[in-house]
Amino acid sequence: MSGDLLHALEDYRAAARSWLEQHAAAFGGEARRNLSEVQDLALGRRWMALKYEHGYSGISLPKHLGGVGLSQLHQAVFTQEEMAFNLPTIYFSISLGQPIPIMMHYAPEEVSKRFIIPALRGEQIWAQLFSEPAAGSDLAGVRTRALRDGDDWILSGQKLWTSWAHHADYAVIVARHDPSVPKHKGLTYFWLDMSAPGVTVRPVRLADGTRDVNEVFLDNVRIPDRQRLGKVGDGFAVAMHTMVIERYSAGADETGYGPLLDQFIALARGACLAGESSLADGRVRGRIADAYRLQQALVTMRSKAFLALANGDEPGAEGSIHKLVSARARQELAELALDLEGPAAPYDASAKPKENWVASWLAAPTGRIAGGTDEILLNIIAEKILGLPQDHRPDKGVAFDAT
Amino acid sequence: MSILYTDEQKQIGESARRFFSDSYSGADLKDLLEVPGRYDHGFWQACCDMGWTALAIPPAYGGLGLGLIEFGLVAEAAGRAVVGAPFLLTSYAAAQAILLAGDQSLCAEFLPLLASGVKIGTLAFAEGTDPIPGKLTVTLAGERISGVKRAVLGGAHADIAITLALRDGVPALVLVDLTDQAVRREVLNTYDNGRGFANITFDRAPARLLTAEDATGIAWNVLDRVAVALAAEQAGGADACMEMARDYATTRQAFGQPIGKFQAVKHRIAEMYVANQIAKANCLEAAIGFTHGSARAAPLAAAARISAIRAYDFAAREGIQTFGGIGATWESDMHLHLRRARSSAAVLGSRYLWEDRLVAALEAHA
Repeated sequence: MSGDLLHALEDYRAAARSWLEQHAAAFGGEARRNLSEVQDLALGRRWMALKYEHGYSGISLPKHLGGVGLSQLHQAVFTQEEMAFNLPTIYFSISLGQPIPIMMHYAPEEVSKRFIIPALRGEQIWAQLFSEPAAGSDLAGVRTRALRDGDDWILSGQKLWTSWAHHADYAVIVARHDPSVPKHKGLTYFWLDMSAPGVTVRPVRLADGTRDVNEVFLDNVRIPDRQRLGKVGDGFAVAMHTMVIERYSAGADETGYGPLLDQFIALARGACLAGESSLADGRVRGRIADAYRLQQALVTMRSKAFLALANGDEPGAEGSIHKLVSARARQELAELALDLEGPAAPYDASAKPKENWVASWLAAPTGRIAGGTDEILLNIIAEKILGLPQDHRPDKGVAFDAT
Repeated sequence: MSILYTDEQKQIGESARRFFSDSYSGADLKDLLEVPGRYDHGFWQACCDMGWTALAIPPAYGGLGLGLIEFGLVAEAAGRAVVGAPFLLTSYAAAQAILLAGDQSLCAEFLPLLASGVKIGTLAFAEGTDPIPGKLTVTLAGERISGVKRAVLGGAHADIAITLALRDGVPALVLVDLTDQAVRREVLNTYDNGRGFANITFDRAPARLLTAEDATGIAWNVLDRVAVALAAEQAGGADACMEMARDYATTRQAFGQPIGKFQAVKHRIAEMYVANQIAKANCLEAAIGFTHGSARAAPLAAAARISAIRAYDFAAREGIQTFGGIGATWESDMHLHLRRARSSAAVLGSRYLWEDRLVAALEAHA
């Protein structure tokens, strides 16, 4: 990386940090203590609006679409600094991470322009209707039907694991328009209004007690053909594009969405192990070193990817490494944190995974599954990057309705 | 992943890679393995002719004025080929020590010799298994050095060594001519004789003082940089193992299909790739850190070293596993990597020492 760019980014980091120090305390950390989800979300919306006013929302989006027009490296730097303040931004992570970039890419500009600024300001939230009860890792197996009816499509089926659908105003969705062709070929991608008749959202409570994900039922939901994104039959390619963006989003967190390593070091310093500070224990130090080296490498790899992007190259399958490594490391570090904290580790229902080890640990299994399991990511690395042969897939080339 | 490199840097890396793959094979190293104390003189001369010994030395002293980023690219290419001439690393290390000590007349006297490759340099800090002894026993009295330095990398062949000795009870960094008759070398028979390890005994040998001011600090600073260069070499070796395993898994058939179709095999190769990418990312970031004088350079160097040790050990061990029986034969090149991965992990202090150093650096910043 050139020295000029490094210096420019460090200047930007310093400016962002001082802005955050000035404004974030009223929205993050203690300010969120004991808030209901509705209150927390309202606080989050105010935070997003404030960021938008000060040019810290949509940092890497082009100016003519309502963004700030800086690079993804700038966005990544800001996100990294913002992380330290435990702000209520999670409700907007999917929305800004995948559906909005996909709309920018596939919807006509006059359409995406209507939605970008409200999403950046936190006024509107978008969800991503992908997984289903029988289609997770094997996303191409989705069964939600899209039936053509004149200039409209009629969607019917059930989606599952949809984050923040209960707050979402809009969503993107992949559905099957043709079950008579092999599974990858019969899919089409759309966007829809979540308040449309026939859409029902029902929360699913996860093992950590949260209700962030939902089942979404679609019962003859009618949408116009102009809400199609990409060509009829290109749904899987658009969905894969979404996944690439997801795995390389500027918001990707090298801690795997767990607490910062500094917080672990502080915990280890205070924890007693065999009569001494656990920070003096070689095993604990080894694990800290491991977390540091992995996190640093992920930051570097992401910076490189953004430079590649700035250079006009598409992000590749390398993004899979980020999620694979960060999610596993986060789980292991959280387990160790619980060893050090003992059986009465601090925890209550309002604890957040970014600042509480129990919450991080309880949410860690989801981290290794959502957005591509470890196993799927290893397959992507092996097949897409290294050119190893594909798994044996008995449904390959077979019409979906014949499998 | 090469996006951060300039065209010039890419060219350096590519030409090094081409050179090593054209002019070197595992068979050459196997000859060196069985008898300690030998190296390929012609091959070393070719390395000098390529300008690699001059790469990271300032132009004022006969060098090319490039840095750790470029040197890392050459080291990575060398590592891919398990090169049996370890002096790229050791001469680099000696030159960095002389530079960091900062005595201009000694720089003028010795750096051009290292740059041209006329002299082979090395570091001789360790007296036991710690890369820098907590308590030095080697002493400097007047301009004479006495005592034993152990398991010196390249010590069997080097012409000059930068070493640490106690001078009036204070550590000093000194330069010793290893060809002097008051220096005795005991070439060691190890599992990786390509590295030319030797114990070196000084018996009132003539020594030149580089500096007595913060000699230990400078020595660690040198080791941090060498750790990054070595890590690049290890990452190159790990990549070679991964690629060999991948190519084999793609062609070798069992149970009616290429073995790379089985997730137990392909996922392991994918894990190698992940570990290697992590090592390379940390190498580059640490090299950038030293180039720009970043305060984080030391923990990043440790991160690079730990990552490279883990990646190379893993790729060599699991690479052989991918090959099955044929990978565990003398004929296969895989055991060259297995040996080199371990000797690289053990030299400069183990992974556990660097983990400790990394955390100490983080504590100092907290």
